[in-house]
Amino acid sequence: MKKILVIDDEENIRQLYKEEFEEMGFEVTVAGDGPSALAAMEKVKFDLATLDMRMEGMDGIETLRRMKEKDKGLPVIISSAYEQYKNDFGSWASDAYIVKSADMTALRETVGKILG
Amino acid sequence: MKTTEKTELQLLSEISRISNSSIELQEKLQRIVEAVTRGMEKDGASLFLIDRSGRNVYLAAAIGLNQESVGKLSFPLGQGIAGWVAEQKVPLALEDPFSDPRFQYVPETGIERFKSLAAAPILDGENCLGVIFVLSAAVWHITSSDITLVTTTANQISGVIRSAQLLRNVQQRLSELGTIHEISMAMTSTLDLSQLLSLIAKNSAQALHAEGCSIRLLKLPETQSLETAPAYSLYGEGVKDLDARIGESLADMAIQGRQPVLIGSSSPQTQLPLPAGGSAISVPLLFHERVIGVITVYNKQGGQSFAEDDLQFLSTIAGGAATAVENAAMYERMQDLALKAETRARELSMLFDISSALSSTLNLDRLLRIILTSVTMGGTGLGFNRAMLLLTNERSNFLQGMMGVGPINWDEAGKAWSEATGKHTNLMEWIRTGDLFERRDVAMNALARGIRMPLDPKEGVLALTVLEKRPYNIIDASASPLVGRKLRELLGVNSFAAVPLIAKDRVLGVIVVDNMFTQRPITDRDMRFLATFASQSSLAIENAIIHTNLETLTRDIRTMHKQLVHSEKMAALGTMMAEIAHEIRNPLVSIGGFTRRLAKKVRNEDTKRYIDIIMSEVTRLEGIINDNLQYIKEAPAQRGEEDLNAAVEDILTLYAEELLQKNIRVEKSLDAAISPLLIDVAQMRQAIINLVTNAMEAMESGGVLTIRTYRIPGSGQVAVEIGDTGVGVTPQAMESMFNPYYTTKQRGTGLGLPITRRIITAHGGTIEVGRRDEGGAVFTIKLPYMTRKPAGP
Ligand SMILES: Nc1ncnc2c1ncn2[C@@H]1O[C@H](COP(=O)(O)OP(=O)(O)OP(=O)(O)O)[C@@H](O)[C@H]1O
Ligand SMILES: [Mg+2]
Repeated sequence: MKKILVIDDEENIRQLYKEEFEEMGFEVTVAGDGPSALAAMEKVKFDLATLDMRMEGMDGIETLRRMKEKDKGLPVIISSAYEQYKNDFGSWASDAYIVKSADMTALRETVGKILG
Repeated sequence: MKTTEKTELQLLSEISRISNSSIELQEKLQRIVEAVTRGMEKDGASLFLIDRSGRNVYLAAAIGLNQESVGKLSFPLGQGIAGWVAEQKVPLALEDPFSDPRFQYVPETGIERFKSLAAAPILDGENCLGVIFVLSAAVWHITSSDITLVTTTANQISGVIRSAQLLRNVQQRLSELGTIHEISMAMTSTLDLSQLLSLIAKNSAQALHAEGCSIRLLKLPETQSLETAPAYSLYGEGVKDLDARIGESLADMAIQGRQPVLIGSSSPQTQLPLPAGGSAISVPLLFHERVIGVITVYNKQGGQSFAEDDLQFLSTIAGGAATAVENAAMYERMQDLALKAETRARELSMLFDISSALSSTLNLDRLLRIILTSVTMGGTGLGFNRAMLLLTNERSNFLQGMMGVGPINWDEAGKAWSEATGKHTNLMEWIRTGDLFERRDVAMNALARGIRMPLDPKEGVLALTVLEKRPYNIIDASASPLVGRKLRELLGVNSFAAVPLIAKDRVLGVIVVDNMFTQRPITDRDMRFLATFASQSSLAIENAIIHTNLETLTRDIRTMHKQLVHSEKMAALGTMMAEIAHEIRNPLVSIGGFTRRLAKKVRNEDTKRYIDIIMSEVTRLEGIINDNLQYIKEAPAQRGEEDLNAAVEDILTLYAEELLQKNIRVEKSLDAAISPLLIDVAQMRQAIINLVTNAMEAMESGGVLTIRTYRIPGSGQVAVEIGDTGVGVTPQAMESMFNPYYTTKQRGTGLGLPITRRIITAHGGTIEVGRRDEGGAVFTIKLPYMTRKPAGP
């Protein structure tokens, strides 16, 4: 079973994503911040991660970079409430950049495509 | 009747007839000597008269003597036979006069033709009027009856002379009265001193039958203000040279002695070089016992010398003239005073006019126009033909022409005057109508604005006016070492003046004026007034300059503030919107997401309808947020005016230990001119860290790290250059190094350079890589030089 790491500081979002992805048939681990995400990566080899760019400026990117350092091949979907970073990093720093929305369709489709 | 008695009677009746005839005295005397010669049956007769001075006898008429001696031959009393008889007042008979010691032989007379003579004084009571001589060619044994006849004849002649002299006195008095009348007419007809002097000189010369007359006035303390009053007047061109030679000396003699001086060629008491036959009288002009001048007449017409009666007459004239001259001088003094008072009043009212005009504006340009117009306006203005104003620039230490007023050449002058005559007489009115500020004097203005020079004494008079804070009145520019050829040609005049504009010890500039067209000399008074005017203007100019500076400053601040407010507002708005979006979006995702999950689980249609409502409302809210974010998406990053150099220093400090360990030397050259810079300093720091770590990783066995910041001249850009002496860039790396995930390192992510480039382009800049000849790589970041200040003036 493919393993997905969900990184988000909002409890509700973590829960929502977990339910959605589990419903899609994946094993889901959740992390509330960068360090715990990196800690989780020590124990488990994930097939996909969703990352909340919740932090301003470089901080979100730094987490992404550390994660890439640990596992260069790990696909990362940035899931952010910030629309404005989409063009900054969306195109290359991650495999996908999805602005958070109550409508999960786009996220589910992307996850399905990557893990497909 | 005896023959003698008969002869005597005949002679006397003839004389009486002559006396009663209406002929001139001279003619009468001539007829008398003829009658005497005939009546006495002798060969000749002569008649001497005492002159006006009473000191000489002169030959007035003669028969048998050379006629040329008549009027010329003269003896002082006591000398010669005539002088002796006149002095002794007794008759004299000389059978052989040539052997008499009293006799003085004058060859010109032809007296040698006679052998004997008889003489008798012509007496009027105690007074001797003259001497009558009877001359005989043969030796004459003179009897007492002969003497009696001569004496009787002399008495008869005395009556003739007396009445003639009376007549002449009356005539002379009349003529004198006429002259004095004329002079007094002149005095009342004119109070112009120079005109009066020439009138007196002319009248005096004519009244005394002189060839010429001069009048000298003393320079008295009271008359020193009479700048225009002549101290000298001359009538008669013929005596001009003579007066120039001896006039002063004569005047001195008259002034020293406080009495008239009479000199003639025959008077031995002076060494003055009078021409042969010339004579002169100098009379001091006395007013209230004070000598105010001297009047001198020269050379009596008709070859005669001036005599005592001429001197008396001139003294009479001088008395009246002195009063007239003093009156005229007084009048001129008063006029001068009145003029001064009037000028002062005019100056004051003009200064008032100007100062109210000056205070009417704080606009520098208008102010300069008012100042220059005041300088050039006739009537209430200073009335110079042209004026220019130059201001000093303290920062650049230059003198710069600002404005010029007036015609640039004669053509323009002609036009300007025909247009302007009488148009505006009052400065305030001119300002009120706005005419003053119409475009005029374009050429002169351009000329003024073309003047620019450093404030260096070498530059000549204009710079010196500023540096020495003093006015210059250049009368002959071509001869002045202070005026260069360039300035002279530029102004096109040989005389001009420059005054400094001084406000509180600071020289603001220079006003330059000239009278190119009227050629009126610039006087000391002009300079004084111009200086007063300049100090008035200076204060106004300074106020205007301060005001103008303030205006520019406030305008700058306002623009800056507006820009600042705008960018800050936008930044704040952007941040706020992003935050709000973030904060709202997360709960919306939860609400919407779980609602959707709920929707899948419920079968109840009512509940489903409610869930749909919730979901559609969530979608609507998300739409609103998206729309708003769309609007602020272009908002600038978190930029502020930052010191990029300081950021570089921070980074170097951060990595100092590591650099030391890796044996990497740092060469840095940071240009302060790039600060401040409008950047997102946190992002920029990240960008530079990426480059510095790459460089360190390229120099594992040590090397040199160079960091330079500088402004790229003429481009409006700043550059940050980071170079190393490391392994260098392979051609393949050169192509791909900015792509994400491209790395040649074991533990590299390949994201360092893409992130760096993203940050730089977000700042509107570029990044390039180059190989260095000495090995290693160099990265050059170029950023637009942006600050919050508006573009400089
Ligand atoms: N100063 C340099 N000298 C030589 N090669 C360089 C230099 N800087 C970058 N490169 C090359 O460009 C590649 C990409 O660099 P970049 O910074 O993007 O990623 P990285 O340094 O490899 O990884 P990371 O930055 O995550 O450590 C490097 O791997 C290296 O091959
Ligand atoms: Mg790197």
